[in-house]
Amino acid sequence: MYPYVTHFTTHDLIFMAQGAGITLVLTIVSGILGTILGFCIGWARSTRSLILFYIFGAYIDVIRSIPLIIQFVLFNSFMAIAGYPLNPFFSGLITLSIYISGYVAEVVKAGIESVPKTTKMAARGLGMTYLHEFFYIVLPIGTRTVFPSWIGLMLGLMKDTSLIAVLGATPPELLRSSQIIITRIQQPLLVLLGAGAFYFALCHMITQFSNLYEMRWREALEG
Amino acid sequence: MFDYTFHWRVVLKQWPQLLKAGLLTLEITVMSILLGLVIAMVLAVLRKSENNTARAMAGMWVALARNTPALLQIYIAYFGLGTFGLHLSPYISVLSAITFNNAGYLAEILRGGIDAINPSQRQTALGLGLTPLQAYAYVIFPQVLKVVFLPITNQIILAMLNSSMGMVIGLQELTGMTTFLQSQTFRPFEFYFAAAVIYFLVAKIASTAASLIAVRHFKG
Amino acid sequence: MRLWRADLIEIKNVHKSFGDNAVLKGVNLTVTKGEVLCLIGASGSGKSTLLLCINALESIQKGKIIVDNIDVHARETTKSRLRQKLGIVFQQYNAFPHLTARENVALAPRLVLKKSKKEASELAEKHLEYVGLTDKIDAFPSQLSGGQQQRLAIARALAMQPDYMLLDEVTSALDPELVGEVLDTLRMLREEGMTMIAVTHEIPFAREVADRIAFFHEGVIHEIGEPEKMLNKPEKARTQEFLRCIL
Repeated sequence: MYPYVTHFTTHDLIFMAQGAGITLVLTIVSGILGTILGFCIGWARSTRSLILFYIFGAYIDVIRSIPLIIQFVLFNSFMAIAGYPLNPFFSGLITLSIYISGYVAEVVKAGIESVPKTTKMAARGLGMTYLHEFFYIVLPIGTRTVFPSWIGLMLGLMKDTSLIAVLGATPPELLRSSQIIITRIQQPLLVLLGAGAFYFALCHMITQFSNLYEMRWREALEG
Repeated sequence: MFDYTFHWRVVLKQWPQLLKAGLLTLEITVMSILLGLVIAMVLAVLRKSENNTARAMAGMWVALARNTPALLQIYIAYFGLGTFGLHLSPYISVLSAITFNNAGYLAEILRGGIDAINPSQRQTALGLGLTPLQAYAYVIFPQVLKVVFLPITNQIILAMLNSSMGMVIGLQELTGMTTFLQSQTFRPFEFYFAAAVIYFLVAKIASTAASLIAVRHFKG
Repeated sequence: MRLWRADLIEIKNVHKSFGDNAVLKGVNLTVTKGEVLCLIGASGSGKSTLLLCINALESIQKGKIIVDNIDVHARETTKSRLRQKLGIVFQQYNAFPHLTARENVALAPRLVLKKSKKEASELAEKHLEYVGLTDKIDAFPSQLSGGQQQRLAIARALAMQPDYMLLDEVTSALDPELVGEVLDTLRMLREEGMTMIAVTHEIPFAREVADRIAFFHEGVIHEIGEPEKMLNKPEKARTQEFLRCIL
């Protein structure tokens, strides 16, 4: 048995808190970039253009079929070869954005297509143009419908930020910070459970709110 | 821009190693899914049970599996369990962590499938004189299968992608092996590109096969 | 000397609650073989629940239901065997979506009556022809109209060769023009002497085929009698009120 003494100091706690902060930064920044990019792609795929549909379809396909770790290192080494070696943190951020854009694109496309044809026809019947219809009808309805799915993607993104460690990115996010501490002290479980608690609390809480939102919105649609 | 010559031959020379590692990836994927499915079915039943404790425990498993990063789950298996004197090999750690993860997601998928079936289907079947077992086997189960088939195949692909995290604790599945080989030859891009192609092909073949099966077998 | 009354359904002082909500508060009823009984009454008065209690799809808290001398809710009763005698058709047709019309009808005979695949298929053909769905025999429910699906549900129940048919508002979910074809099927059943308990809103239909009409109110049978009497000169005030609203 090990002596019940922990080498886990306040300094470590601060270190982990900083890691959590980095996790959030990564999530929010790549979340925003990826959503903007994904929105454009999703919109493009919802138009009648077959070329756009298939080209971006391939883009999404590739992203969803390759592990994120491979995407990280592939992008990083590619940029190095191309003569523009990037700071690993930065390169990881871009990879995360591209990665999530693939998933966001599908969700956006689903949202656009979820608006009933009759609703769109009603808008056109009133004399609205495609753009009017898109921004004032399709967008407000579609975004509310897929909001829970999008939240799910963002939460998944937060969990995926833990993989950026493979690039040796600094400053370290939460899981890497935890791993650094573990190599020193005797109670890895404590640290890992602490990190896990952070992810769990955030994901679980946000999911509950999202479910509530979904319920209310569905009532609004059907009632 | 490219002050670099691509050396693909190095990769081709290591083909057997990559293949071996690829098989390990497949092995982990298949085993973690099969085990995960069994556990998920148990979890799905428990979540519908009258017993509050059973429901809560099953719910906890699903919540923990889905709200924490898979890599954390692998770390807990590999490093965390050492606190209890349980020292798992990288292989077992990855397998159990991904199985744990799969079970949680699959249980949710199964729950969605069961909830999607109109409850009066069961009543109707019973009303015709079928025993509960017959009602389940011939009326409920086929309908649930139709709903959950594609999500499950999706999870299979996710399990394969998650197996790549084994690399972080030194397991030489495809990603781990690729990392090892590129560190020896200083050709990261070529090797990782090859790995990417392999993952892509396997995922694509699996999802195409799944769609074909779905179209052929699920009519009505 | 006790008369051996084998062919009937006896409902004695049945009480049923869903949690705190009491739905049946002492129902007494006897249905004899060959009789057509229509249950009318406001929504929520317990009519549908009573049907579900008769074939043990719902439990009862108090009282007894006896079908052909078998106590429905006794623990020793094999429910699945009992349900062969009692065909039930619901408002929401509940066709099995993953099976064709033929397979829908053949399933229970094959599993419960242990018929061979061939026998069951022929049985299915016969009953689908009876309800007029021969040309749709290999279609899936999603390809059928509401009226066709309901007729499919009736054929499916009949294929089990029941002694009694329980019909729960079988036309309520249908578009008006599809109601007729289902009522025609029920008329045919009546001609052949099938014992039926039908919960219905179709008063003209009840007037035409029922031997008796029972008015349900607040969990009990408020009044019961022959159609002419019930519909033209009901005795109780509530019955009059109800009929006035819907006629």
